[in-house]
Amino acid sequence: MTANTTVLPFRPRPRRSERAISNGVLGMILFVFVEIMLFAGFISAFVIIRARAVGSVWPPPNQPRLPFEQTAVNTSALLASGILLLAAHRMHLKDRSPRAVGALLALATLLGSAFVFLQGVEWAALIGEGLTMTSSTYGSLFYTIIGAHAAHAVIAIGVLAWAWVRVAKSNLSREAISSVAIFWYFVVLVWPFLYFQVYL
Amino acid sequence: MKITLALALLVLATLPEAAFACPVCFDRDDEARIAFLATTGLLTLLPLGLVAGFGVWLRRRARAEEDDTNSEAALD
Repeated sequence: MTANTTVLPFRPRPRRSERAISNGVLGMILFVFVEIMLFAGFISAFVIIRARAVGSVWPPPNQPRLPFEQTAVNTSALLASGILLLAAHRMHLKDRSPRAVGALLALATLLGSAFVFLQGVEWAALIGEGLTMTSSTYGSLFYTIIGAHAAHAVIAIGVLAWAWVRVAKSNLSREAISSVAIFWYFVVLVWPFLYFQVYL
Repeated sequence: MKITLALALLVLATLPEAAFACPVCFDRDDEARIAFLATTGLLTLLPLGLVAGFGVWLRRRARAEEDDTNSEAALD
């Protein structure tokens, strides 16, 4: 008795293509999309409330004006921080010196911290002048929108500091720095929209 | 039954007047109406733009990587 055997032709396993984007980066991009919609909602609410202000007077009478010129300094610090992180990000992806990447990351973190600190000083002055969450719609909108941004900035600074420690230990993956950078780019790039809408 | 339904539809179609409660369509103030329209447009188009832009970027990236893989395989 002979067994019928079928010999299948050898087919090499197809080469598995690399993923176009890593899971961590994809997750961060989707998270940033959600955050963009959150701030778009904030800006929309602000624009509508400002348009319907009584007598078209904005800011409302007896409320302090926001320090547009002073905040330009904070804005510059934040934008510079974003540029430094972009340089660090690109250098890390090209496997350049971890020392230089670490230095750029540290500077970006410091400038981000300076932004938050100066915002805190500005808030203290505004509260002293009578602009609080309950003083008017103007105050509640200001603290909600700018406060939400500040909360994001504080969290992002913590993440930047974590990335800096990992770079110092030569233990920061490309995926990790890309995810951190995407979050910080969002914090940096959403600010000019808030600045020109809320402060101007 | 059919006549009742037809009459009901006729009444529904002819009786109601424009709903002035809609803040996007009506506002005594032009500036507020424009603000409502602009923000409605923003909040409608922004997510579509984000998803579409991301889709296009991802497709281009995937194609570029596929081309790289094919050229590497050809060299092998």
